[in-house]
Amino acid sequence: MSTAWHMDDELAADYARGRTGPTLAASVEAHLLACAACRGKLAPEVPRARLDRVWDEITAAVDAPRPTSFERLLRVLGVPEHTARLLAVTSSLKPAWIAAGAVALLFAALASGETSRFGTLVFLAVAPILPVAGVVLAYGRGADPAHEIAFAAPYSVVRLTLLRAAAVLGVCVALALVIGLAVLGDGGLMAVWLLPALALTTLTLALAGWLDPLMSGGAVAALWFAGFAAVAVYEVRPVLFGSVGQLASLAVFAVSAFVIFIRRREFS
Amino acid sequence: MNDTVVVDDVSKSFGRSRALSGLSFTARKGVTGLLGPNGAGKTTLMRLLATVLAADSGRVRLLGWNPVYDRLEIRRRLGYLPQEPAYQRGFTVFEFVDYVAILKEMVDRRARHDEVRRVIGEVGLADVSGKKIRTLSGGMRRRVGIAQALLGDPELVLLDEPTAGLDPEQRLRFRALISRIGENRTVLLSTHQTEDVAALCERAVVLKDGRCVFAGTPEELRGVARGRVWQSPRRAGVLSWRTGEGDFRNIGSPPADATLVPPTVEDGYLLLLDGDKVEAAV
Ligand SMILES: Nc1ncnc2c1ncn2[C@@H]1O[C@H](COP(=O)(O)OP(=O)(O)O)[C@@H](O)[C@H]1O
Ligand SMILES: [Mg+2]
Ligand SMILES: [Zn+2]
Repeated sequence: MSTAWHMDDELAADYARGRTGPTLAASVEAHLLACAACRGKLAPEVPRARLDRVWDEITAAVDAPRPTSFERLLRVLGVPEHTARLLAVTSSLKPAWIAAGAVALLFAALASGETSRFGTLVFLAVAPILPVAGVVLAYGRGADPAHEIAFAAPYSVVRLTLLRAAAVLGVCVALALVIGLAVLGDGGLMAVWLLPALALTTLTLALAGWLDPLMSGGAVAALWFAGFAAVAVYEVRPVLFGSVGQLASLAVFAVSAFVIFIRRREFS
Repeated sequence: MNDTVVVDDVSKSFGRSRALSGLSFTARKGVTGLLGPNGAGKTTLMRLLATVLAADSGRVRLLGWNPVYDRLEIRRRLGYLPQEPAYQRGFTVFEFVDYVAILKEMVDRRARHDEVRRVIGEVGLADVSGKKIRTLSGGMRRRVGIAQALLGDPELVLLDEPTAGLDPEQRLRFRALISRIGENRTVLLSTHQTEDVAALCERAVVLKDGRCVFAGTPEELRGVARGRVWQSPRRAGVLSWRTGEGDFRNIGSPPADATLVPPTVEDGYLLLLDGDKVEAAV
């Protein structure tokens, strides 16, 4: 395809001065990548330094990975480029997973409508578990097939894990807030599950120091649902979301974070 | 001394199975081949040197650092190709190597991308750098693994069975590539193919049941079988197989009238592995 035509002097001069339209420029650039003769023709038209810079940018643009929309969003939020790339490869931050999470929340929210016997309880039970599932996916062996290579790299495994967990938590909280407010429309209700979500996620990470992440996440979810059911049987508005529950969540979070901190070497 | 890798009396067990038991050897700049049958402990040793595993006992020094205390310093100077590595499915070659480059603390995007392009070029994959890894052949995938191991010009390169499953032509290209890498670095390469060692290693270490049973040059490994390989019309010796010409090639203690033939590195290796049987037959 690239040998069907070559640049004549006029086109070279136009391109060098930026007088070609974007479509023609793109096609010239595609051709330049494959044709050394035309690159040579362009050289006298452009100051050397500028040519080198243009050339660098072209090769960089051609084979460098295109940032995903999630990555671009992170960049906008001020996350550095390399960190955004590390986060973007996390499976539970992929559009498919986020969509699945949104659907799960949506059903939970709909099931929590006025007609349900337990009211908003279904939503409150599901919302804090979503980030746990996300973290299990982000941290499990299957999530990073090249984990053996990642282990041997200088980047801290704990840091990588916490970074991904934080991103997953952030995405889940944003999702649950938006869906909860849209479907249930109760702002106060939206605040009560934040601390339990943080506690359960941190507990999952802390337990993952001993257990397989899937086991750890499963254990935390089972614990949560059991506790939730037990409390829900006795009270309509469960203690879990009252001040007792909030304090307990805070305690679980603090202990789990401490465990992660002192065992940070064992993680890698 | 100039030893860049020192392993001294190292043991490692998984539950009740002992993968390494009292292993000692040293390596320096150049390519050192780790030979051993399946289960000899090669991968366990590689993972230990890659700081992915910790030894139960014994001492290890890598590039002058102790992996127990200076893990980060070692990781900053290390390139590691695990045995049968898996890659992220949807990644292109460039994306995967770029991902590893970030994990290797290369922060500046422009410089990092230049380095990624350099290592991809070095293994001859520049043409497919935008292709998804899952569409590549096994040999090309192996080269992706080598490319990431070269990021940042590491002083110590660990390659766990990089030639397994390659066809003869790919093997040749690999050997050329690996010996080029070994010109100014310490390369440790595990394999169970003696031809790899004969063709490209300056030194060979033979592992058996988690112990070092030989360390020396490939020529010295060949020397192990000197005077102990002969050809005869009948089966004899401890190890014996029919050659293309119809004669038997025998390894062991030759009879007085035997027609001795020059040994190969393979003969020396086989003799080491079955040494107890050979001694018993004397
Ligand atoms: N992660 C592991 N868990 C349990 N046993 C292992 C593990 N890795 C290796 N082993 C055992 O250690 C021994 C040495 O294995 P390995 O180091 O893989 O040898 P090689 O690479 O030479 O084939 C084998 O008996 C193997 O079963
Ligand atoms: Mg192995
Ligand atoms: Zn041209």
